[in-house]
Amino acid sequence: MAEILLSEAEKTFILHGVEEGFRCDGRMRLDYRPMEVETDVVSHASGSARLRLANTDILVGVKTEIDTPYPERPREGKIEFFVDCSANATPAFEGRGGEELGTEISNSLATAYQSSQTFDLTALCILPGQQCWKLYIDILILECGGNLFDAVSLAVKAALHNTRVPKVKGACLDGGTVDLQLSDDPYDCCRLDVSDAPCLVTLCKIGDHCVVDPTAEEETCSSGSVVIAITEKSLVTSVFKTGVGSFHPQTLIDILKVGQTIGLSVNKALRAALLEEEQQGRKKECFGFLK
Amino acid sequence: MATCYKSIHPVKYYRDFLAKGVRPDGRDMQKFRPVSINVDSIKTAEGSAIVKIGNTVVVCGIKAELAAPKAEEPNFGYLVPNVELPPLCSPRFCPGPPSDLAQVSSNFIAETLTSSGCVDLKDLCIAPEHLAWVLHCDLICLDHDGSLWDACVIALVAALRTVKLPHVSYDVEAETTVVSPEKRNKLQVHNTPVATTFAIFDDEILLTDPTNEEESLSSGVMTIVVQGGQLCSVHKPGGSPLTESQLQECINGAMKRAEYINKLVNMTLESLGT
Amino acid sequence: MDRTATLTKKETSGHESQLGLDTKADRLTDHVKTGVVSQAKGSAYIEQSNTKVVCSVFDPREIPRKSGYSVNGELYCEFKFAPFSCIQWRSHQPDAFEKECSLILRRSLEPAVCRHEFPNFQVDVYALVLENDGSALAAAITCAALALADASVPMYDLVVAATLGVHGDKKFMDPTVEEESLCNILPPDGRSRNHGIITAAFSPAHQQMSEFAQSGAMDIDCATSSIQLLREACESIYLLSQQCLLKGVTKMLKKKQKEIKLDLSSDRIAC
Repeated sequence: MAEILLSEAEKTFILHGVEEGFRCDGRMRLDYRPMEVETDVVSHASGSARLRLANTDILVGVKTEIDTPYPERPREGKIEFFVDCSANATPAFEGRGGEELGTEISNSLATAYQSSQTFDLTALCILPGQQCWKLYIDILILECGGNLFDAVSLAVKAALHNTRVPKVKGACLDGGTVDLQLSDDPYDCCRLDVSDAPCLVTLCKIGDHCVVDPTAEEETCSSGSVVIAITEKSLVTSVFKTGVGSFHPQTLIDILKVGQTIGLSVNKALRAALLEEEQQGRKKECFGFLK
Repeated sequence: MATCYKSIHPVKYYRDFLAKGVRPDGRDMQKFRPVSINVDSIKTAEGSAIVKIGNTVVVCGIKAELAAPKAEEPNFGYLVPNVELPPLCSPRFCPGPPSDLAQVSSNFIAETLTSSGCVDLKDLCIAPEHLAWVLHCDLICLDHDGSLWDACVIALVAALRTVKLPHVSYDVEAETTVVSPEKRNKLQVHNTPVATTFAIFDDEILLTDPTNEEESLSSGVMTIVVQGGQLCSVHKPGGSPLTESQLQECINGAMKRAEYINKLVNMTLESLGT
Repeated sequence: MDRTATLTKKETSGHESQLGLDTKADRLTDHVKTGVVSQAKGSAYIEQSNTKVVCSVFDPREIPRKSGYSVNGELYCEFKFAPFSCIQWRSHQPDAFEKECSLILRRSLEPAVCRHEFPNFQVDVYALVLENDGSALAAAITCAALALADASVPMYDLVVAATLGVHGDKKFMDPTVEEESLCNILPPDGRSRNHGIITAAFSPAHQQMSEFAQSGAMDIDCATSSIQLLREACESIYLLSQQCLLKGVTKMLKKKQKEIKLDLSSDRIAC
C-alpha cells in the first residue's frame, strides 16, 4: 500500500484507541465506513460499477468476448481479472510501481472466484467445446484510502450484477468454424447470477484486537491482516494473510469467525443496495463522477 | 592464512600451486573430477537425467508434445533444447531474462545436437505434414562450478536415451489422433557426443575440467566435442592462442574421456534395466 | 494451469472409490538435506514422496531500484516450476500461479527472519521445483527456511509448512497432484459443499502461524478444524527439519576441526 509516515506517538495513540474499542474516526472496531456504489457508469462496457469507500475509489468495467473454452473444461466459460493501480491514486504507483500490488489483488480475486460454487462458469458456455463467453474484469484504482481488497471485491460483485451478456440467437457450423448470431436488440440479454459471489473482508490485527475496514494509517500500525472471502451462504472461498506478522492459531480461528459474521452482513447490505438501485429503474439519477 | 592469501592474490595463489604440478583441489593438470549420473528420477518427464561433475550439477528433463511439423521440413519432428542458468545456481546470475551465457549455451547444445546427429528427426515424425513429436529438452543447472557444457551434454544424451514415447496413430482424413500411453517405444539415439572443457592458464598451462574459480582466473577456455572416435566440434571463443601440439593433446584427452563417459552412461542405463 | 480441475465428473466418482479416508499425515517427508549447492551461501533439498524441491539463499545484497533507507531488510523470493516438473510442459516465464506462490513464500518466511539484522539489504531466496507431485509450495517453504538457516541468516524460528486437501467430508494431508485437482472441484453427489486446498506455514517454537492460504469453498468450521490438523502435521515436519539442521552443523564442525588440525601440521605455502 502507499507509504504513510507516522510517528511512534501517533502509532501508540491508534493502538491504545483500538484496545479501548475507539478508532480515530469514531468507529467501533467492527464498523465499516460509509460506502457508495453506483452501477452502469461506463456506457461501452457490458457492466460496470463504481464504489467509494470513504477515500478509496474503485471503478470496475466488465467486457464480454467470445472465446474458445479450455480443452479440459469444454462446458465452462472463462473469467479474467486485471487490476490497474493508476498513478492517480498515489505517486508510488507511477510506472510499474503498482504492478506488484495489482498482481496480488487480481490473484486474490481469481482464487476467490475459482470455485464453481461462487460463480457458475457453465452459464457462460455457448457451444460446448467450441465457443464460450470470456469475461474481462478490469479494475481501476482511482484513489487509495486503505482497505483495497474489500472495496475491489464489492465493486466487482456490483459490476457483475450489472453485466448484461448478449443472447445468442443462432449458430451455424460451417466446416469447423462457428458463426454466431447475436440478438440485435440491446435490451435482449441475460444477467449473471451473482448471489454466490464472494466479498473479501480484511481484518487488520492491531495490538491484540482485530479491526475491520482499516484506514491507511491503521494499516501502517498493524503487523498483519487476514483477508477472508465469504459468500452469502457463509462459504469461505479464500483466506490469505498480508503483511509481515504472524498469528497464533487460536487468534486465527477467532479472526475467521469474526470475518464470517462481518462478511455475511456486508454481502446482505450490498445486495440490498443493488436491488434498491435497480428498482429505481430509468428514473435513477446518474451521478457518475460528479459526486 | 591460506584463505586470506587466496582472496588477495588469487592468480598468484594458483601459480604457486601449478608450479608444484598440482591444483588447489588436489588434482594434477590432466585429471578429471568424479562424475556421477542418475537417470529417470523425474517421473513427470518423459526422460530425465541428473549429472554431477565435482560440484557442478545439471538436470535434464525431456517433455514430449505433439505438434504440426515445420512447413519447410514436413517429414521431421524437432527438438527444442534450452539451457537455463537460474539465479539459484550461482551468485553471478540475476533473475530476469536469460543471461548471455545461458543463450550461448542453448546455442551450443542445439549445434551439438544437429552436428552429431544423435537423434534422427525422421524418427519423431508420425504423419508427414500433419503430426510430429516435439521434444522440449530443458537443461537446468543447479550448481555452476565449471565444466557446465560437459555436464549439459552428458545429461542431455543420457536423458534422450531414457525417453520412451507413447504410441500415436493419426487418421489423416478424420484428423483424429489416438494416443496409447501404455504402449511405449524407446527413442533411438544413434550417436552419443561427449564434451570436454579445457582452461588455458597464464597462456601456457592446460587444465582439464576446470572449476568455476579456475575458469574465471584462466586466460582462455575451450570445449571439444567428440563422438564415436571422431571430432565433432571445437568451441574456442577467443582467449589465449594454442599451439598445434597443445590442441592435439586436448583432442586426445577428449577422446579418452569420451570412452570413459560412454562406458559410465551405458552402465547407468543397464542398471536401470532398460 | 494448476488450479483447474482436470478430472471430469465420471472420473471423480471412480477416483473417490479408490482414495481412502486419509485424515492423518500418511505421507511423511522422505529426504531433507542442506548444503547441496556449493555456489550458494545456504541451500537445501527436500523430497516429499515424489515432490522434489531445491532452494538456495544468497548473501545480502543492495536492494535494486531503491533510493531511500529502510530500517528492515527485505526478502526477495522466487518460486519456479522447472519446465518438466508438471504433467504439462511449463514455459520459462513465470506465470500468475508462480508469482502468487512467490508472494506466499515471502509472506511465510518474513515473520521468522530477523530483518532488523540486515537493514537496507535484501536476501535472495530461490526455490525450484524439479518434480511436482502435489504440495510443492509447502515443500518449498520448508526447504527455503532450512536454506535460510544454512546460510546463517538470523532467524527467530524455523518455518515448516503443510498442505491439506478437502473434498466433501474427506481430508487429505499432503495431497498428490491428482488429489489436488480432485479437491479443486465440487463433490458431485451434493452431500457436502466443501472442497479446497489449504497451505499453512507454522513456526512451532513460538506457536505462530506465519501463513494461511485457502482456496476453494468450505464452511467456516471446516476451515477452523483444518488449522488443528495442519498444526499437528507441521510439528512432525519440524522435528525432521531440526534433525537435518543438526546434521549439517555437526558435519561443518567436524570439517572445521579437520582443517584446523591440517593447518597446524602442514608446511606454509612458499611465497
